[in-house]
Amino acid sequence: MNRVVVTGLGPVSSIGIGVSAFTDGLREGRSGISPIRSFDASGFPRRNAGEVPDFRPETLLRRIEPTRWGRSSQFAAAAARLALADSGLDPATVAPDRVGAVVGTTSGESVVVETVTAQQVEGGFAAMDPELLGQMAAGRLAHAVSTELELAGESLTLATACSASNYAIGYAYDTLVTGEADVMFAGGADSVCRWAHAGFFRLGALTADACSPFDRDRSGILTGEGGAMLLLETLDHARTRGARIYGEVLGYGVNCDANHPVAPDRASIAECMRTAHRNAAVKPEDVDYICAHGTGTPANDSVEAQAIFDVFGDRVPPVSSIKSMIGHTMGAASGFGAIAGALAITHGFLPPTINWTTPDPALAGLDPVPNTARETGVRVVQNNGFAFGGNNAIVLIGAVE
Amino acid sequence: MSGVVITGWSTVSPAGVGRAALTERLTADVVAAAASTEPPPPVDVTGLSDEPLPSTTGHALVDFDVRAHLGRKGTSFYDRATALAVVACGEALSDAGVLVDDSNRARLGVVLGTSLGSFRSTSDYTRDTLVQEKPYLVNPVLFPNTVMNCAAGQAAIRHGLRGVNATVATGPLAFLDALRYGTNAITRGYVDAMLVGAVEEFSPHRAWNTWLTGRQVPTGEAAAVFLLTRAEQPAWAGPRREAEVLALATAYGPGGGESADRALTGCVSRAVRRAGVDPAQVSHVLTGETGVDDTDEFAPACAALGHTPTRTRVGRLFGHCDAATGGLALATFLAAEPVGARTRLALLTSRSPDGGTAAAIIRGWSGAGPADR
Amino acid sequence: MTQTDPRMAELREIVAEVLELEPEEITETGDFAEDYEADSLRAIEILARIDKKFKIEIPQSELPSLNNLKAVYDAVVRHSAGQA
Repeated sequence: MNRVVVTGLGPVSSIGIGVSAFTDGLREGRSGISPIRSFDASGFPRRNAGEVPDFRPETLLRRIEPTRWGRSSQFAAAAARLALADSGLDPATVAPDRVGAVVGTTSGESVVVETVTAQQVEGGFAAMDPELLGQMAAGRLAHAVSTELELAGESLTLATACSASNYAIGYAYDTLVTGEADVMFAGGADSVCRWAHAGFFRLGALTADACSPFDRDRSGILTGEGGAMLLLETLDHARTRGARIYGEVLGYGVNCDANHPVAPDRASIAECMRTAHRNAAVKPEDVDYICAHGTGTPANDSVEAQAIFDVFGDRVPPVSSIKSMIGHTMGAASGFGAIAGALAITHGFLPPTINWTTPDPALAGLDPVPNTARETGVRVVQNNGFAFGGNNAIVLIGAVE
Repeated sequence: MSGVVITGWSTVSPAGVGRAALTERLTADVVAAAASTEPPPPVDVTGLSDEPLPSTTGHALVDFDVRAHLGRKGTSFYDRATALAVVACGEALSDAGVLVDDSNRARLGVVLGTSLGSFRSTSDYTRDTLVQEKPYLVNPVLFPNTVMNCAAGQAAIRHGLRGVNATVATGPLAFLDALRYGTNAITRGYVDAMLVGAVEEFSPHRAWNTWLTGRQVPTGEAAAVFLLTRAEQPAWAGPRREAEVLALATAYGPGGGESADRALTGCVSRAVRRAGVDPAQVSHVLTGETGVDDTDEFAPACAALGHTPTRTRVGRLFGHCDAATGGLALATFLAAEPVGARTRLALLTSRSPDGGTAAAIIRGWSGAGPADR
Repeated sequence: MTQTDPRMAELREIVAEVLELEPEEITETGDFAEDYEADSLRAIEILARIDKKFKIEIPQSELPSLNNLKAVYDAVVRHSAGQA
C-alpha cells in the first residue's frame, strides 16, 4: 500500500489564478463576487456570482483548442496545467499510462447545454448546433485534462454534484494506494449558469451580494465557478524526484443520506466524518482545522455545525468557509477546499470566513475564523463536501514528517 | 482477479421491465440479428413526445409507467432516467435476493453511469428561465433533476442505500467506469456490496442529439443494474453467484487512428493479464459499436486476444443507448442460455469519441443463469 | 364563501398535484407537512403555481404560515384584494 501526497496545486478561481495568487487571496480574505456577466441576469432578483472574468484559456492551455471545448472542460484543463507546472514534475520522466485524471462536477458543460437550449428555443430542436452537441458530454472534463497533458491512464469524470472534487481526490488516492498509477490529477470544475442560479434562487437559497457562512443572519449561497486540480503522486515517487510536498492524503469517507434530495442530514454527515476519520486513521482530536462545506444557507451551516459538535464534542477545531470568498463553485468546491487545506498546512495559516459580523447563538462554540486569516500551525485538515442527492464526501489531508 | 462477483441483475429496456423480459426477447433469432447486418425494427415512439421527433421510431419502452412499479408517492417528479434507474435498482435487488435493512444499508451503495444526466431535465429547466415572464419561477422540486447524480440519489432514497453513492459521467464508457468504481469501493473495503449500473432515457432531446450528430442506429433507452459483492460474500448479498468480474482496465488515446487503437489494444491486454485467463478462452466480445461495418472496438480487441471470438453489438439490438450500452451488453451475455463449456468468458469494450477506452473481463458461470430462477 | 369560490377547487388541484395526492385526499385543514409529508420545496412550488395561474405573488416570507389549504386560500384572497 502506497502513501499518497499532494505535490502540485492548480486553482483557477475568482480570487486568483495560480497557486500564488490564490494563496494571497485566501490570506487577504479577498472577495471574488461580482455582477454576473456570463448570462443576462436582468430578469432575476439576484445578480451576483463568483465568476472568473479574468480566465483567458488561450494563455494557459498549450494543446487543446479552447473553441473545441466547453467552459468547464477549459477550467479543468487549465487548472491541471497549472498544477503540473506547480509540481515541477517533468512529464517525460513518467510513463504516460501511469498517469490519469479524475474530474468532479455538478453540472458538467452547463454553458454548452444552455447554448443549445437557446438555439432550440429560437429555432426548434433541429436548430441545435451539432458541433456544440458534441461538446456537451460531461466526460469531456476529464478528457480535456488527459488531452491537454497527454496522459494515457484513466480519464474519469465523477458527477456527484457539490462534493464531486472530494470523490475525485478519493478515487485518485485509491488508484495510487493500490499501485494502479504513479501520478493522478484530481479535482473539479464547473461554470456559472442560468439554470443553477434560477434553481438556487427558487429554493430560497441564494443571497444578494455577500455570502456569510456561520453568521446568525446568513441568507444563502452565491453561485461560483472555476477549476481546482491537485497533482497527487505516491510518496515514493515524490521523494525519488525530490518534489516539494504540500501534504499527505490520509484517507477519505463517503456515504449517502438516502433521505432527502436537497436537505442535509445531521446524523448522516456525522457518520461520514467518523468514516473518514476511521479510513484515514485520524482521531477527532488530531484535526487542527475543518475546511467547511459552509455554503452560507441557514440549513447547511446549522446542520454541518451540529454534526461537527456531535463528532468533536467539546474540542471543536476552527471551522471556516472559503465559499464566503469565492461563492459556491459546485463540483469544484471541495477541490478548492483541498487546495486551501494543503496551503494551510504548508504555510501555517487558516483561511478566514469573510462577511462575518454576528455570532449565531445556535452555533455557540464554533470558531469560524472571522474575516481575517490566522497564522497558526496546521497538521491535519478535514475537508468537508456535501451535495444534493445526499452525496457526502470528506477528505483528510495531513502534514508529512 | 478482483474477487468481486455478481449475484443478481435486472434491466429496464425496450424489451420490458426485468431480466425475464430481456431473456425472452433474446431469442436465437434476435441474437443472430445482432451479429448480422439487419437490426430488429424499432417501435413507434411518437407517444413519448409532444414535440416533433426526427424519426417516428426508436428503441424505447413506450408503455413504461413508473407508478405501476413504485406507486405515485415520491415518483411524480422523477424524470424518466431517474424512474428507469430506480426501478432497475429495485429489480436487481430483488433478483439477487437482497433485503435492505438497518443491518446492511450502510454497507450497500450504488454507482450509476450517465452521459450528462437527463439532457431533457437540464435543458427544460434552462428553457423555463428563457421563455417565462419571470425567469426565476422555476419548479424547485425539479431542480435536483438538473443535477447528474439525481438517479443515484433517488435510488438511494427509494431503496434505503446509505453506502458509497456515486455517479460516473463518461457516456459510452460509463458502465465500465461504474463497474470499476463499484469494484474499487468493494475491494477497498468501503462497502460490502454495490449496485452498479447505467441509464439513459428516451427523450426528444436525446433523439435529436442522436440524429444531428449522425449516429447510425436510432435512439434507445435502458437502465441496466447489477448487484456486486466480494467473493466471500456476506449472506445478505444474495445466495447465488452468477458471474465474476475478473478484471477491468481503462486508458486514454485521443486523436483516432492507430495510436487510439493501440490504447484499446493495450487496455484489453492489461485486462486479460490481470484476469489471469488464457486469451484463447475468451469466447465473446461485447462492443459498443453500432455501424454496419464498424470494427473500431472489435479489431483492436481481436488483435489483443490473438483470435476472433463471437461479437455482440448490443446497440444494433436496442439502439443508441450511450452510457447504458455496456450494461445492456453484459445483461445480454448473462441472459443468454449457456451452451457448451461450463464457464464462459466475455470481454466488454467501450470507446468514446474523444479517446477514452475501457475493457472488462467477465466470467459467467453456467447453471447460474435464468434456468435456476 | 370558501365552499363556492371556484378558486378553492383550483387550489386543491394544485396542492394535490404538487403533494402527489388525489384532490379528495386533501382537507382544508390537513397540515401539509404533518399530514401529507410535504417539504419546503413543495410549498415553494405551490406558491410558484399560484403565481403562474392567478398572477398573484405571495411573498416567500409567508411560507411558514401556509401550512394547509385554508391558509393558502386565505393568502390568495388577501393578496388578490391587495392587487385590486
